[in-house]
Amino acid sequence: MDIMDKLNISASMLLTGFTIVFAVLFFLIFLIWLYGRIITNAQTKAAKRKTLKIQSERNDEPIEKVPVKTDSKAPVLKKSGISDEVVAVISAAVYSMYGSSEKVKIKSIKKSSSRSAWANAGILNNTRPF
Amino acid sequence: MDILNKFLDALVGIFNDSGLMTLDWRNYIMIAVACVLFYLAIKKQYEPLLLLPIAFGMLLVNLYPSIMAAPETTFMTEQQCIAAKGTIDGYATTVIDGQTFYNVPHYGGLFYYLYQGVKLGIYPPLIFLGVGAMTDFGPLIANPKSFILGAAAQIGIFITFIGAIFLGFTSAQAGAIGIIGGADGPTAIYVTTKLAPELLGSIAIAAYSYMALVPIIQPPIMRALTTKKERAVQMEQLRPVSKLEKIIFPVIIVIVISILLPDAAPLVGMLMFGNLLKESGVADRLSKTAQNELMNIITIFLGTTVGATATGANFLSWSTIKIIALGLLAFMMGSACGVLFGKIMYKLTGGKVNPLIGSAGVSAVPMAARVSQKVGQEENPGNFLLMHAMGPNVAGVIGSAVAAGVLLNVLR
Repeated sequence: MDIMDKLNISASMLLTGFTIVFAVLFFLIFLIWLYGRIITNAQTKAAKRKTLKIQSERNDEPIEKVPVKTDSKAPVLKKSGISDEVVAVISAAVYSMYGSSEKVKIKSIKKSSSRSAWANAGILNNTRPF
Repeated sequence: MDILNKFLDALVGIFNDSGLMTLDWRNYIMIAVACVLFYLAIKKQYEPLLLLPIAFGMLLVNLYPSIMAAPETTFMTEQQCIAAKGTIDGYATTVIDGQTFYNVPHYGGLFYYLYQGVKLGIYPPLIFLGVGAMTDFGPLIANPKSFILGAAAQIGIFITFIGAIFLGFTSAQAGAIGIIGGADGPTAIYVTTKLAPELLGSIAIAAYSYMALVPIIQPPIMRALTTKKERAVQMEQLRPVSKLEKIIFPVIIVIVISILLPDAAPLVGMLMFGNLLKESGVADRLSKTAQNELMNIITIFLGTTVGATATGANFLSWSTIKIIALGLLAFMMGSACGVLFGKIMYKLTGGKVNPLIGSAGVSAVPMAARVSQKVGQEENPGNFLLMHAMGPNVAGVIGSAVAAGVLLNVLR
């Protein structure tokens, strides 16, 4: 191969490789984005329909007056020095994990005592990348 | 006296057949290289699951080259056959110029038969089956733009191709050398067996060595190409991906890539088949087999036989030194291009993308993603880039398979 042949083959391979790899992967980005949208929309609509159905079923039932009960644990939380914001964050985290379909109840939130040096070392060892 | 002569003849025969007489100096150097690889695999734990079988294959073939010998057939006359084997029964015959010859087979060495899985391109797709069964494509589905970084990191392959052409390699050999930049062992082996099988030993060893050295090679490049502010960027949490999306993903990928680039179908097809076994949730036994037993068995066969291609005569040449230098160039270029495209995304998104995740676009799963996490956390201890880097990382696996398809299509 002389220098011109080498230049030709190098340029054509660079151009072909670059173009095809990017074209294929851009096409995949579009496809994944598209089907992601379709599935998310479909699942959102299904969830909405389910919620509406439940609401309409509730509306059909006679409404009973239920006396409002104050959660006896709320003052306990305040006493233990946990602010409402922290309670809200923990509730939101639990909700995002389990959703509304699961019957999950937060009964108490306690501040844990600080970990021992051995526990900290164990956690550090298991979570450190190298 | 006759007994003593026979005894001495036997001793001389054994001595002449021993390694002391048959091995040359290059074999002894390769035995030393194998011992260095043992050290790196066992003491330094550089990719030990692959480096150990490769080193042992290298050791065995240089101690006993016939372990890779191909089967042969000797044509013998009736008298020769009876003298050698004591009988002519059971041997097929061939008539040449009116004379009958008996076909006496000599079977090949153990590694010759195991190597057929490499030569015929069987092992790399089977490894991909296991890789697919172990991979979570969730981060890539949640952020499909990661594909851009997975594509960018493949540019190193094509730049190295140019370097190899100008260093005197043929275009097929240059393609096989360039694929080292994909940082994907099975893909490198698959492409090399198709394009330049004579370079398999050098390319496989270079590819796996550099994959093991990712934590050493990448961080200086990442730091050199990014600012402190860019490295400290905290990325938004990825959206949750539904099970249905994860099930559809491998089916779509295999259809699109196999139609557009049929040469990449064996690799991508098996990768996605493994992933479908995992994500479908209905074939747990198959998924576990692909991830564990099958993967381990194939790794042993692949590693030992690839190592067995590194005989002294093949490996100790200027080509190997050039391949090792070009492989390093490929790796560095791939990482640099990934980071540079990460910087482009950083600018385009108004600082929402941390450019460090770009270097994970070279495959090397999950090591490259862990390097992004580590370098990001050095700048900002509260920064968790691992899941964000896994997107480009698994996109790099698909990207390198696509690049392999392009090379095979153009150069074969």
